[in-house]
Amino acid sequence: MLTFIKNVFKQEHNSSRRQANDRLRVVLAHDRAGTSAELMDTIKEEIIQVIAKHIEIVGNPEVNFIREGRHSALDISIPIKGR
Amino acid sequence: MENSTTNGEVIVVTSGKGGVGKTTTVANLSTSLARMGYKVAVMDLDIGLKKLDLILGLENRVIYDIVQVIEGECTLKQALVKDKRFPGLCMLPAAQTRNKDDISPEQVQVVCDNLKQEFDYVFIDCPAGIEQGFKNSIAAADKAIVVTNPEVSAVRDADRIIGMLESAQYKDIHLLVNRVQNDMIKSGNMLSIEDLAEHLCINLLGIVPEDKNVLISTNKGEPIILNERSQASQAFNNIAQRLTGKDVPFLELDENSFWNKLRGLGRSLLPTR
Repeated sequence: MLTFIKNVFKQEHNSSRRQANDRLRVVLAHDRAGTSAELMDTIKEEIIQVIAKHIEIVGNPEVNFIREGRHSALDISIPIKGR
Repeated sequence: MENSTTNGEVIVVTSGKGGVGKTTTVANLSTSLARMGYKVAVMDLDIGLKKLDLILGLENRVIYDIVQVIEGECTLKQALVKDKRFPGLCMLPAAQTRNKDDISPEQVQVVCDNLKQEFDYVFIDCPAGIEQGFKNSIAAADKAIVVTNPEVSAVRDADRIIGMLESAQYKDIHLLVNRVQNDMIKSGNMLSIEDLAEHLCINLLGIVPEDKNVLISTNKGEPIILNERSQASQAFNNIAQRLTGKDVPFLELDENSFWNKLRGLGRSLLPTR
């Protein structure tokens, strides 16, 4: 019984449908904005550099594409060091 | 896009990717509306790669084509092929030996304006791709139906087409998902309707299940809607009704559900028309 439940969850986790959805999310966000994964890395790096010039960054800064309906937006989360 | 002297609606059926069922959709929606009593014209703009005549079973009755109409070699009326099975249905064939650049969006607009005066619905079968043929096809359209399959490359192309339609200021854009296999969705191996809605974010016009009868009907040159027993036929008839403004619920895709089994049993007991 336990293995059955495990299999069900495993299938859901690795299902090709899920993979298709994950890949589509990324590719459509880039298609719509006319960007690439490489460009995103460059943007991320440069944004972090600009911030780091003025304030100290801690932890893992993140710059991601998010989708709002048919539009994409940049979601920037940069944790900074408190005094 | 408004024309005060006419009330016909021009609907373009497009997809980006080839082979997703644009021509099948045009053939079945037009036939279904004609059967309801509407006057319907279908226009094949896949110049150089025509298909609609073959799918509708009208290939032997083609005399003139749209390029000849545009170049003044014949009148629009001469080029329209009447479907003997449905008096309200006419087809304007594509030219097979010419190419997409031989006509312009403005010329298609003129042809559509003329057709709108006589027909309630004018369907445009758009070629695959985003080049000249696509531009010609969307020029005169009041409404767009984007056909896709639950498959990553078809969804990506549909998204691109929707983006292009939106940049061209089209507001009336609808999604038709073709070749849906509910058993594969259930086993986690196919994108679901909800998944597609999440990715593409446009109004869902209809869902057509995968159906072997579609191939059989194209072999014969008879639209699938003539086969009352097929699921795809019901789906296309429902979509045609939605185009007329009726609120028809989406098909229950689960073939093994109790009601569908009962319905199937009922259908198999009834004599075929």
